[in-house]
Amino acid sequence: MSQMLSPDMTIAAEAAVKAKIEVKNLNFYYGQSKALKDITLSLPERSVTAFIGPSGCGKSTLLRVFNRIYELYPKQTAEGQVLLDGHNVLDRSQDLNLLRTKIGMVFQKPTPFPMSIYENIAFGVRLYEKLSKSEMDGRVEQALKRAALWTEVKDKLNASGLSLSGGQQQRLCIARTVAVKPEVILLDEPASALDPLSTAKIEELIDELQADYTIVIVTHNMQQAARVSKQTAFMYLGELVEFDRTEKIFTSPREKRTQDYITGRFG
Amino acid sequence: MSTSLSLHGRRKTRNSVMMTLCVVAAGIGLAWLALILGALVYKGVAGLSLSVFTEMTPPPGEAGGLLNAIAGSIAMTIIAIAVGTPIGVLAGTYMAEYGRFSKLTTVVRFINDILLSAPSIIVGLFVYELLVRPMGHFSAIAGAFALAILVIPVVVRTTEDMLNLVPNALREAGTAIGAPRWVVIKSVAYRAALSGIVTGILLAIARISGETAPLLFTALNNQFWSSNLNAPMASLPVTIFQFALSPYEEWQQLAWTGALIITLTVLALSIVARSLTGRREDK
Repeated sequence: MSQMLSPDMTIAAEAAVKAKIEVKNLNFYYGQSKALKDITLSLPERSVTAFIGPSGCGKSTLLRVFNRIYELYPKQTAEGQVLLDGHNVLDRSQDLNLLRTKIGMVFQKPTPFPMSIYENIAFGVRLYEKLSKSEMDGRVEQALKRAALWTEVKDKLNASGLSLSGGQQQRLCIARTVAVKPEVILLDEPASALDPLSTAKIEELIDELQADYTIVIVTHNMQQAARVSKQTAFMYLGELVEFDRTEKIFTSPREKRTQDYITGRFG
Repeated sequence: MSTSLSLHGRRKTRNSVMMTLCVVAAGIGLAWLALILGALVYKGVAGLSLSVFTEMTPPPGEAGGLLNAIAGSIAMTIIAIAVGTPIGVLAGTYMAEYGRFSKLTTVVRFINDILLSAPSIIVGLFVYELLVRPMGHFSAIAGAFALAILVIPVVVRTTEDMLNLVPNALREAGTAIGAPRWVVIKSVAYRAALSGIVTGILLAIARISGETAPLLFTALNNQFWSSNLNAPMASLPVTIFQFALSPYEEWQQLAWTGALIITLTVLALSIVARSLTGRREDK
């Protein structure tokens, strides 16, 4: 087990970047059942990390601990440490709303709010910033451009967010997340409900966004993980089996279970 | 082969017998409704004129209208909705949002369902004991209060149901962007459930606009125009009740017309409610 902890250290050392998020001895419970078992890993800043593994392995659960969104539901508890820039976000004193402005999240199914395209983006910004009309217009435009959606929607900003196609809705959700200027973006299978073309657009977007944000993506799609991420964590039954540079995971994994999974022997 | 054929034949016979029974039952149900509506329109339209809406309820043997009764019904309904809707919406919000997983919600939902089907005359008696007896007289306030008690369970139920239909993913998305709980409820959940909640309020109006029993014990009736909420006030249902039982022809005619007005109002509200929910499903 101790040997499993070393690769992530080397990742940080090799890349010579500081760790944005450090997870230390994290356990997670749904009621009595343990869903995450003693997870320890650190995610380098401004880089894409992928979590892969079969259904129920805990990859989404781990993601949902980072912004503590699990706390919407009763009987879900986390113990251990999740350090964001060295500060434990699992601390009781952590202001949850503030945490979530720093760590944005995009979900599997597109979730535009029932309001206009403009309002979908302004909504989050307005919560924490007082902007003039023109500043807000600029922010909305900038966010939509960032999400590669501007040219498609610039003439119908007042149309309902629900009127967009699935792929556009998902990019709107990314724009909305980017607009509040987070430091980390969590993507929970962001393309699994989309067609291949929209998926390609989202992946392109992820590639561009990593220059400014620390990105964590959960995906079922191994090719996607291989395409977009710099490092990959393979999880199985609530355990972190292997965490290494993506090319290493997909070409010469250390663990047999990883090998079996990426070659399609199970999962 | 012969057995399976006879089995098939028997099944076909049984099927047609069942279908006939269902059609007949549906027909009987609809026939009564048609007869009632037919009689109502036939007898009610005869008395429908401008004076119904401009003149007061007359003394026996004279011509008149229903103005004070209509105004009284509207006034008490507005007060009842103004009092009952916020309570109902907030209670429903608690049950669907804050207390979704709490025991209290289960208890409140159970009690609310009982209240929803409680005979309205019991509500009338309750308000009589609570307000009318201590005040020493019947009043519009007591009437509106009784109607408000009938509004609450309808609004609680629809608000909870409609908020429960809002996908959790939407709440998570609102929360994930850093919005506090109340902002997520106000700006995301309410917006997504708006047409459903409004439908619930319209249905509540429809429900109370025909209620007679609770008003008999509370607002009673008033032959004249009254804008004093602390005094007895006329209402359409009670006026219909009184006039329909009377031996006077003019009164009986006004009762038919009043009944038609209530029915058309309820019909209109139902249509609006339907179109609102219909639009919701289109999305």
